[in-house]
Amino acid sequence: MEFKANFLGGLFVDVIFYGIQFFFFSVIYSYVDAIGVFTREDVMIFLIVTFLTDTLYMFFFAGNLFNLNRWMVRGDLDFFLLKPVASQFLVSFRYIKSYAVVSLVILTMLLFSRIALYSQPVPLLNWAAFVISLGLGWIVWYGVEFIVSTSCFWFKNFSVSGWLSHEILKFSTRPDSIYTGLFRKVLFSAIPMILIASIPTRTLLYGPDINYMGWQLFIAIIFLVNSRIIWRKGLIRYESASS
Amino acid sequence: MKGWIEKYLSVIRMTWIQTLEYKANTIVGAFAIFSGLAIEFLIWKQVFQAQGATEIRGFTFNGLIAYIFLCMIVGQLKSSWATSIEMIESIRTGELNKYLIRPVSFFTYHFMMFVGHNSLFYIVYTTILILFPILLPGFAFMTSLHVGGFIAAVLLSIYLSYAIYYCMVCFAFWFGEVRSLVIAYNISNIVLSGQIIPLRLFPDTARDIIYLTPLQFLVDFPVSIATNQLPLELWLPKMAAAFAWCVVMTLAGAAIYRAGIRVYGGFGA
Repeated sequence: MEFKANFLGGLFVDVIFYGIQFFFFSVIYSYVDAIGVFTREDVMIFLIVTFLTDTLYMFFFAGNLFNLNRWMVRGDLDFFLLKPVASQFLVSFRYIKSYAVVSLVILTMLLFSRIALYSQPVPLLNWAAFVISLGLGWIVWYGVEFIVSTSCFWFKNFSVSGWLSHEILKFSTRPDSIYTGLFRKVLFSAIPMILIASIPTRTLLYGPDINYMGWQLFIAIIFLVNSRIIWRKGLIRYESASS
Repeated sequence: MKGWIEKYLSVIRMTWIQTLEYKANTIVGAFAIFSGLAIEFLIWKQVFQAQGATEIRGFTFNGLIAYIFLCMIVGQLKSSWATSIEMIESIRTGELNKYLIRPVSFFTYHFMMFVGHNSLFYIVYTTILILFPILLPGFAFMTSLHVGGFIAAVLLSIYLSYAIYYCMVCFAFWFGEVRSLVIAYNISNIVLSGQIIPLRLFPDTARDIIYLTPLQFLVDFPVSIATNQLPLELWLPKMAAAFAWCVVMTLAGAAIYRAGIRVYGGFGA
């Protein structure tokens, strides 16, 4: 909160990002009534869920994982490793992006208002399952981003890791009904982008599906465990500032 | 003049060497284009299938995908993250001093850096563009005139894009957080310049507003020439308009810089 311009700047970028995404889909939906099961009103809710996940991610991790490469190259990672705290935890949660709180509040209100206007009633069970599904999606996102970020240990200087993960995450910002065949399977497993926002949205709008949520839980655990293994292997390769 | 050219060519050379060190940029850049194209392909496939249409506002499905593919390439050629953020930092931290005490123009130096940084993309994408008529025949570069028109329009687009960035960057003399402005511009530019949806598919009001701005010349204009979507008789008037925007943005940038340099403290704004 010390940096007010930074705070307002972050908010400004968020507003532009949300506006542009809404505009993009409003152009697409001016030519079509539904993409798969997602109608126009479904997609608007899907977008809010995407932004919510993104904001949660920004709040907790953006100030940390984006900097991992720099910390490794400059040797600043030493300060994290010296502290008597689990190093993966510290590099993941050391800093927060405070402006995300405002976005979080606005998006939550927006989600409630959209659901209130939704053509079908959304039962409480859907909400409860949605919160769990959103959390699982968030963990999957963390796992993917963390694994991409830690690749800097192998590439010595991987300054484009943020860009790469942004490009991978782009797949999560489109409703899953556009993905078909083998590509859909890949986005459900190896690069599990569908699990980040599409499944939580489906859970909220169409009700919890035990298969989807069970799979989300399984993939979340796999990615979390992998992130742990890769982090430990990466630390063995770490050579302080000379990395 | 020879000295001036040599001076700034050495900046490009230096940036080239620096850029070639980081080949991952090109790989990720190419991935960005193909992943983006894959998403657009899937979305528009759904739209065409759902509508049962063979054509939307003059675009066949293949024609639209070829158009978006070219748009993504041009969009990346004119984008600047690294250079503009570096320029903002040099104003904020006082590093601008080194340009003030040397016979080097802040504008031209960074324009050469901008070209140098993107040079690796130029090489890779030129190869893709050469292969384009072979991979997707009949959708772009039908004649050498289209190739020439496209190159001229892309050069104007790159310069205009840089001139717009320069104007935004110079606000760093007054405001601490101009990076947000540049990032917001980059995000909105992806859609509003027609990079992922052709401007022709926009709602009329939105398109009319965009046509009042220089955004139409950044991506849509060069690609419309390449894909023969723009009638030949409109090429020259549009080129002239793009050139006029280049002049306007250059003058605006120079004016903002001149005003900014008066409030610049030399120790960081």
